[in-house]
Amino acid sequence: MAITAEAAKKNMNKVAVVCCRTEAGTVLEASSLEDPAIFPDLEDSGLLTIPENCLKIGEVIGAKVTKTVDSLTPLTPDVVEGIQAMESEEAPKEAAKEAPVSAEPAAQAVSQPAQQPVVQNAGGVVKIHIGEGKNIDLEFPIGLTGAVASSAPAAGVAATAPVEQAAAAEAVSSEESAEAKKMRSLVKKHFKIDKVEMADETKIDGTTLYLRKNICDDAVNVSDIVTSIKVDIIPEENYNQYSETIMDVQPIATKEQDCKLGAGATRVLDGVVMVVTGTDAKGVQIGEFGSSEGELDKNIMWGRPGAPDKGDILIKTEVVIKEKMNMERPGPLAAHKATDFITQEIREAIKKLDDNLVVEEEELVQYRRPGKKKVLIIKEIMGQGAMHDNLILPVEPVGIVGGKPNVDLGNVPVMLSPLEVLDGGIHALTCIGPASKENSRHYWREPLVEHVMKDEELDLAGVVFVGSPQANSEKFYVSDRLGMLVEAMDLDGAFITTEGFGNNHIDFASHHEQVGEREVTVVGMSFCAQQGALVVGNEHMKYMVDHNKSDQGIENEILANNTLCEEDAIRATLMLKAAMAGEEIKEPERKFNPVVKENNIDMIEQQTGVEMDLVANEQILPKSKKRLEIYEPEA
Amino acid sequence: MKYGDKIIYIEGIIVEVKDGAVSIDLKGRLGFLKVPMRMLINDYPVKVGQEVGLNMSFVEVLSEEVNETYVSNIEKRNKQTKEA
Repeated sequence: MAITAEAAKKNMNKVAVVCCRTEAGTVLEASSLEDPAIFPDLEDSGLLTIPENCLKIGEVIGAKVTKTVDSLTPLTPDVVEGIQAMESEEAPKEAAKEAPVSAEPAAQAVSQPAQQPVVQNAGGVVKIHIGEGKNIDLEFPIGLTGAVASSAPAAGVAATAPVEQAAAAEAVSSEESAEAKKMRSLVKKHFKIDKVEMADETKIDGTTLYLRKNICDDAVNVSDIVTSIKVDIIPEENYNQYSETIMDVQPIATKEQDCKLGAGATRVLDGVVMVVTGTDAKGVQIGEFGSSEGELDKNIMWGRPGAPDKGDILIKTEVVIKEKMNMERPGPLAAHKATDFITQEIREAIKKLDDNLVVEEEELVQYRRPGKKKVLIIKEIMGQGAMHDNLILPVEPVGIVGGKPNVDLGNVPVMLSPLEVLDGGIHALTCIGPASKENSRHYWREPLVEHVMKDEELDLAGVVFVGSPQANSEKFYVSDRLGMLVEAMDLDGAFITTEGFGNNHIDFASHHEQVGEREVTVVGMSFCAQQGALVVGNEHMKYMVDHNKSDQGIENEILANNTLCEEDAIRATLMLKAAMAGEEIKEPERKFNPVVKENNIDMIEQQTGVEMDLVANEQILPKSKKRLEIYEPEA
Repeated sequence: MKYGDKIIYIEGIIVEVKDGAVSIDLKGRLGFLKVPMRMLINDYPVKVGQEVGLNMSFVEVLSEEVNETYVSNIEKRNKQTKEA
């Protein structure tokens, strides 16, 4: 298919191939050329071979074909005359790079208009005219210039880019001096637990947590749907025990009196977590799909933000709900409610603890940093229904009471402060797939929020949660709202994250479009690799960070293996900073290639001088027979 | 996989819609498929009777060996069903 003149300008440096039969004597236009985006597919299928001397699109537009050529013929110098001279790729980049350096002398030049460089933006092309007797005219596509291009139209007709930049730089530096504004703080008081036992009442004595023996008899009554519930206490030595599919991993935490979620003081137990599992009365897993039931030590990627840490004592509930309720919305919620009954009793015990038992006090402070690049974290959460749901802002950290399911809220964007997120503001019901889902504990220690919040070069405005509804019509409704929200915020940059893969990638793409078309730089984060390849894409999805950690790039049923970790947060933050500064980011390769991540890590280490510790993957776990045989047969 | 690139267009009918999953009968009595909601792409609300299309291939057995972990899980499930 022929390309438009605009597309041709964007692709000046791509190889030129005619899209249809072209007669000798034809003067080449954009409409004579094929879209370079499809060349890799054509090359793969053997329909096209690009010779080394193939001309670039920028060289052939306006040139004449000397010989009649068939469709899909790459244009080479022997069939084209009047090849257009193109600026080398390096020239515009250098110009762009040098511009800020020359800012000061250019600023003085304001009083000498004859000498000032002139930047014009017309028809998608930036024209720079530099006087001073040299008379160099540069023309290059707008996409290459970043800051220069965007500043020119803002200033009106003909603005002087360096002057603009100097002014901008001054503005920035004066704003930079503005002090960071403390918004609120959250204190997490950690209590150590190293033993959990059954007893006559629920209480904490020193570092031992006692659970009431008959607690399940009461927990079962929280919902008519729950038919029975069992609690197992699993210390590290019993990690080889069988477990039903893990629905969620939750911290055990509570607010101190009169403190609202996201501020004040929170008390949390270290060394112990709640683990929700369950089946229906017929023994069908509540998370019916993605069978991650089995021995715990082979199915959990310990230490991921959303998973238990190795050594944690697991308080695992096994909730049985009525038959066939496992895929209806009340079913999974009932399993969570029954578990929360037990957690709530522990919370009451934590409230009674003396402050002397606090082993660590961690203060998290949220700052707004006026003058710094204003960024937003957009977290896409599942909202298709049943286990694809999340309770937003319960009263207690990762509690039930007070939380609103995002499905009931219509999946529209909801803004949380970073501290509300890190204080258990999201109770996740998500069930699939085990390796990529973000459990409640993930939000409790969400690495991207933690990382960006601490970054003094960025002004984190907030964290928006946007649900992913089922039908496309609803997806676009939600995405439009997100776009309007972003428009009203005057952002410089945004992160969009999603969990797992499936139809949520449709809204993921749409969110990029909504944010990107408002000239906000956007970095996307998702598990993709081999299996979770994006189903759709658009021109705004340029900066992507893959969450994959598995060796094979697949959903390998290991809980939380492919979820967002600190290393991904570091990569995404640096990518956003680079993109906001107008730096080029290389195009992605056509197929998943783990080397891309390795190279980026190397670059980060070189540039920052900080060695990055990458998290381990499933290779450190004892191999279960299924992994050994099905996924990774050893030769 | 030995035959992995043999992709065939197949149609089906939605026969059951739950909050978290959708069941599909493949046309021509070619089988039955149940997938989580997020694996289904639909422009408008999902209803029983809607037709779906997908590209599929044949199902290939990867190895002669059975996987004991899965066998044990299946046996556990069968036992639970029986007890129920």
